[in-house]
Amino acid sequence: MTFTADKQTRQDLNVLSKYGSGSVYGLFDQVQTRGGARLLDDWFRQPLTDADAINTRSAIFRYFQEKGFGFPFDAETIGSMEDYLQGEVSGSGIGMAVISICRKKWIGGFFRDGQFGLLQKGMAAAIRVLRQLGDLLELVETDAMGGDFGKELHRVRGILDDQRLRRLMEDGQEYWTLLATARYDHLLRQGLREEMRTVMEVIARLDVYMAVGQVATENGFSYARALPVERGCLCARGLRHPALKSGVANSVSFDRDSNVLFLTGANMAGKSTFMKTVGVSLYLAHMGFPVAAEELEFSVREGLYSSINVPDNLSLGLSHFYAEVLRVKQVAEEVSQGRHLLVIFDELFKGTNVKDAYDATLAVTEAFSEYRNCIFIISTHIVEVGEAMRGNHDNLQFRFFPTYMEGSVPRYPYQLQEGISSDRHGMLIIGNEGILEIIRGG
Amino acid sequence: MSFYTDQQTLDDLQIFGKPGGESIYSQFNRTRTAGGAGELEDLFRYPLSDAAAINRRVALIRWFGSARVEFPFRGELFDVIEQYLANTDERTQLAREEHGLERKIRRMLAPDATYVAVAGGVASVIELLQTLQRFLKSLEVSAGDHYVQEMKVMSDVMAEPDLEPLLKSRGKGRLAYGILAAYDRVIRWRQRDRLRRLLSVLYEMDVYIAVAGVAAERGFAFPVALPPGRVGVKWEGVYHPGLKRAVGNSLCMSSERNILFLTGANMAGKSTLMKTLAIALFLGHMGFPVPAKSLEFSVRDGIYTTINLADNLDQGVSHFYAEVCRVRDMARALSQGRKLFIVFDELFRGTNVKDAYEATVAVTEALAERDNCLFIVSTHIMEAGEVLRERCGTIGFRFLPTVMEGDRPVYTYVLEEGISEDRHGMVIIRNEGILELLKNGKRSGS
Repeated sequence: MTFTADKQTRQDLNVLSKYGSGSVYGLFDQVQTRGGARLLDDWFRQPLTDADAINTRSAIFRYFQEKGFGFPFDAETIGSMEDYLQGEVSGSGIGMAVISICRKKWIGGFFRDGQFGLLQKGMAAAIRVLRQLGDLLELVETDAMGGDFGKELHRVRGILDDQRLRRLMEDGQEYWTLLATARYDHLLRQGLREEMRTVMEVIARLDVYMAVGQVATENGFSYARALPVERGCLCARGLRHPALKSGVANSVSFDRDSNVLFLTGANMAGKSTFMKTVGVSLYLAHMGFPVAAEELEFSVREGLYSSINVPDNLSLGLSHFYAEVLRVKQVAEEVSQGRHLLVIFDELFKGTNVKDAYDATLAVTEAFSEYRNCIFIISTHIVEVGEAMRGNHDNLQFRFFPTYMEGSVPRYPYQLQEGISSDRHGMLIIGNEGILEIIRGG
Repeated sequence: MSFYTDQQTLDDLQIFGKPGGESIYSQFNRTRTAGGAGELEDLFRYPLSDAAAINRRVALIRWFGSARVEFPFRGELFDVIEQYLANTDERTQLAREEHGLERKIRRMLAPDATYVAVAGGVASVIELLQTLQRFLKSLEVSAGDHYVQEMKVMSDVMAEPDLEPLLKSRGKGRLAYGILAAYDRVIRWRQRDRLRRLLSVLYEMDVYIAVAGVAAERGFAFPVALPPGRVGVKWEGVYHPGLKRAVGNSLCMSSERNILFLTGANMAGKSTLMKTLAIALFLGHMGFPVPAKSLEFSVRDGIYTTINLADNLDQGVSHFYAEVCRVRDMARALSQGRKLFIVFDELFRGTNVKDAYEATVAVTEALAERDNCLFIVSTHIMEAGEVLRERCGTIGFRFLPTVMEGDRPVYTYVLEEGISEDRHGMVIIRNEGILELLKNGKRSGS
């Protein structure tokens, strides 16, 4: 089972773009090796859907964060080791290896193409990395790791204990005779081919674990706790947007009996940012990554759908409203299959007249709210919809972002409050600016 | 008296557009000379606010079009002449008495840049004057009273005794050094101002001919500016000049109907229509042909539009506050008693419905009292229209309809009388079967 988050959602939450302000990927992208970057990319693309797997992964992150090991390898050495291990190997016997090495050496002598030097450099890098890995593994308590990673670390320990490898590592030289070069090369690239692949994978994972742990320490992030699907809850205390330095923390809590959050508030009051915060945090939590919250507990979801910046497709002749309707339909199809989702709708049906928007928002919200498997966050300007639903449904929570007027300038505390927004500062601002008097007078 | 407008309006209407992009200016920019292009830009920057001046320019462009006058000069000529005339350094004057042989030998060794520049400049001026002479002779129809001043400038040049030898100068060959020096003195010092005046007349002519060409090619109509005293604009068959298959619309506004309350679905064409009306009126005030069947208007003191208002999130200004500030600026302009044409697209969209409704009603009501100004206000909030209909007598109601073809909305882009009744929102939602889908789905527990 995979975690569903479609393109629209990923764009809304800005989880996969590496650059730009507010990019979550960019925040965590502190890895040093190519293997680490690939792994991070994989993890970002495929959040987990199993509570145990999530908790295991976050436990590993936490372990490395608490221990605070520095990543002992430098990126360049790892890079040349990678290139070396992936390099072309001719034949499989030791004899062929000797011939190949000799050819490289002699051709190098004639043409100065540096092949032989490169080979020796790669080998030296590999040996240095293996030695550093051995040192690091001395410190890591393998038993503290749950899941596959603990087993993998055990395997790598075993590999490093291999007699032949031991001799190579204790050799202590940087340049070898032709024959020794051939023998070691054969060992690393053929004899222990699979083993070396495992080593590289472990290094990539160590890279990601340490980088993410480091980011968590720097930003004061904490780890979410995944619960089984059945609980159907999402409970966050002091939740902030991970990529915003000075975000305001808010708390929110959902369960099967209060699975719909009806959000109101003026423009600029922080509705969209809050919705993105919940979406991004839950996404990260499903990856086992740290989140910007004091505490976050969640039942595992099967996916995430958001509709925050729905683009209109004018070239297809679709109005903004129609684009929104299609998006709602798409989500409704998913929801009606009984899946466990988090659904976020920002300003539903803003592209139409008020009466239509009111009718549509009311009808759609009521229909969705019956699905208690899902958690819904729905924001709107049309506060009347909230009034109409208050009392009829026991599973709705009403929250709003307030606006305070300081003289004629609105100020936003970005602090979630219970209820439906009743801010009517529009006419107040117009009154303060004295517009009607100016038009009439003069 | 100058015509009032601002950057927001110029941007909304894409008068100048982005560099390299489509704009109203670029549609008329067919001038042959760089000076003409500069002149055209000035006309766009400073529309007229005097009926007589507007009608005069209209008549001129119309005359250039009907006489089928072609711009007789080579465009490059003007670049050379401009550069040549700009050099007023006395030291570049050719010395009259220089030893002939010494000069010739020196010129064989190295070309004399000053001499080359002067010779090129003089030759270009001679070509310009002689072409002008032929052009004036070939004109059969007189432009009437409107072009008198300009004609006088041109005929004065022709009659100037100083320049007579240049007009009579013959042959393509190189001029003798002494003669060249004498001509140079006449052109750059004695007759310099007269020639400058001539150039600016020719640049204007370039613009008029280019604009007349655009009008003829695209079938634009010539507007009529009404004398002051009346308030009103009458557009007939007006369309957006930047659209390929634009639909024509007609509309009449006056002091008894000084507000147009425009409704309609998104995509139905509200913004485009507002731009179209404003662009036609803007061009009308320049005395330019307009994309319409006809346009009559009482002269305004200015045009302001608010169509794509940018919010300034960096400064923490919400969209609503940006709109309020804009309305306040408009109100200040109104309070100075100017006769304006003002367009507001989607007034107060950046706030909740109740606020937007109240604000729209209050502001529109206040605007309605200004019967020497004309307003177009569009909104999503149709409910505001019903209230305004009861309270104010001077509001005209129009809407752009949406027709449902099956479950696809189709837009006619033709104005109709009334307030939009289109409530296709729920129809579309029902057509897509969203509610049934949710009704019949697997709910929790089941």
